[in-house]
Amino acid sequence: MINSKQAAIIKKDIFAIVSNKQLLTALIIVPLVFTVFFPTIFILIIRFAPDQVNNIEQILNMLPEDMRTGDMQTTIIAFLLDNIMPLFFTIIPILASSIMAASSFVGEKEKRTLETLLYSPLTLTQMFQAKVWASFVISMAVTYASFVIMLIVVEALLLFAFGNMILPGLSWLFILLAVTPAMSLLAITLIVRGSAKAQTMEDSQQRSVFLVLPIMLVIVGQFMGIVLINPWYLLIAGAVLGAIAALLMRGSMKKFTYEALLKR
Amino acid sequence: MNVIITENLSKTYDGGKEAVKNLTLTLEQGEVFGFLGPNGAGKTTAVKLLNGTVSHTTGSCRVFDIDPMTKPEELHQISGVLTEHAQMYDHMTGLDNLLFFGAVFGLSAGESKTRALGLLEELELFDAKDKRLSTYSTGMRQRLSLARAMIHKPKILFLDEPTSGLDPESILSVNRMIKNLAENEGVTIFLCTHQLRYAQEICCRYGLIDDGIMFANGTLDELRGLVSGGTTVKIKTDTDIHEIQVEDESEIPAIVKRIVNEGGNIYSVSTEKPSLEDVYFALTNKIDPARGGASA
Repeated sequence: MINSKQAAIIKKDIFAIVSNKQLLTALIIVPLVFTVFFPTIFILIIRFAPDQVNNIEQILNMLPEDMRTGDMQTTIIAFLLDNIMPLFFTIIPILASSIMAASSFVGEKEKRTLETLLYSPLTLTQMFQAKVWASFVISMAVTYASFVIMLIVVEALLLFAFGNMILPGLSWLFILLAVTPAMSLLAITLIVRGSAKAQTMEDSQQRSVFLVLPIMLVIVGQFMGIVLINPWYLLIAGAVLGAIAALLMRGSMKKFTYEALLKR
Repeated sequence: MNVIITENLSKTYDGGKEAVKNLTLTLEQGEVFGFLGPNGAGKTTAVKLLNGTVSHTTGSCRVFDIDPMTKPEELHQISGVLTEHAQMYDHMTGLDNLLFFGAVFGLSAGESKTRALGLLEELELFDAKDKRLSTYSTGMRQRLSLARAMIHKPKILFLDEPTSGLDPESILSVNRMIKNLAENEGVTIFLCTHQLRYAQEICCRYGLIDDGIMFANGTLDELRGLVSGGTTVKIKTDTDIHEIQVEDESEIPAIVKRIVNEGGNIYSVSTEKPSLEDVYFALTNKIDPARGGASA
């Protein structure tokens, strides 16, 4: 599926992002904020200052009976872990793949290295497949690493604060296997579609806002009035979003010509 | 064997600019062809047309019997391209850049390394091979780009202003390399430049282009035949230096005899043929404004 020439491009693109301190910092800091900083704050507030959370009682009252299994604090933590954190988590693959794809597609154009690549013995489709793979691999690596870090931090905090651990629910499995890959592909598709017109990486990265905004709205919605998402719907949503991304990507690749890419 | 054949090849960009107009050209294997003209004449567009990175508006072209428009990737496997805008990666070392492009062209890691080190040595970049490209001077970058264009041993090289930014010594070593490739390895060179003196040192045939039109092509002698003036004879006597225009060198002995018979002493006699630059400007003035073509 991937030939050795494409593998060389994937390796080069990954190395490019890893060796760029600015981009690497962005790739590390943002996920850390979502997976370490936010849950730590939540857990510590709920453990040590539950009175500071104004609508904690309201949230509790809105939860269905079967979710109110333990004491108030455990119920809230479980709700945060399985209903709020996954939403924050979907932002990670979007941001990671936006940074990576913008560097890989538009960054090459900006630095005038794309033209050199266009004289290589790869079809435009093969070249773009390689670049999509590079963005996808980095995005998923960041996402999965973030999950592992988050799990370690959250479980350690729970053990420290409450003396017991709360394991993540089924929704996390579908988030990790279906939703995050689909979100990542969608973000890459948005960047790829705009790559012929975009002249700078910043222009290009801004396109991912179109994906982040709806998620932010859902997060706000979770705090205002709860939207409980059935884990199986997540699986379906992941599959549908993935299919849309794949179709859009295929359409974008067909439209690419050397001339459009070289236009400055 | 003709390796490039174009017939009435034209390119009009979206904005309406006609960059190349009715280019008809053939190039033989192992030729060093100088495509000469001022900046903006259409040289780079011609290179892009011949490599399939811009689409032609009318006409046709084949390079090594491949249509660049339909199978650009096949052509790129056997062609090397150096253009001003085709840059390499600043964050990588010179050697790593070459190894990367070697891999992209399908060379094994071992082949890439052997080839890259050989080219770095030949282009006097060996000592800088482990330095990042961002630390390279303009001339070093240009030489590394040349090495990159040759990493996969192409059958044809498209060099757009290859000596831009190079010092005189580097120009000499690049010239030696290009001549060697053409003469000993049969590589065809399509060299675009506006530096006419440089082109005269290295090319065996020329195409002169301005405003998208190739208005003359042929060997230097053939191009000289298109302009009047012939050979200039310089005769240094005890009183003066005489510059006399002759159509043919057979006229020289009679001139010398006449000076001697008139009592003059001759210290030296030399002949000077019009340079490529002289021919270029003579042709430019001759063709303009009608912009018809001239072919030798």
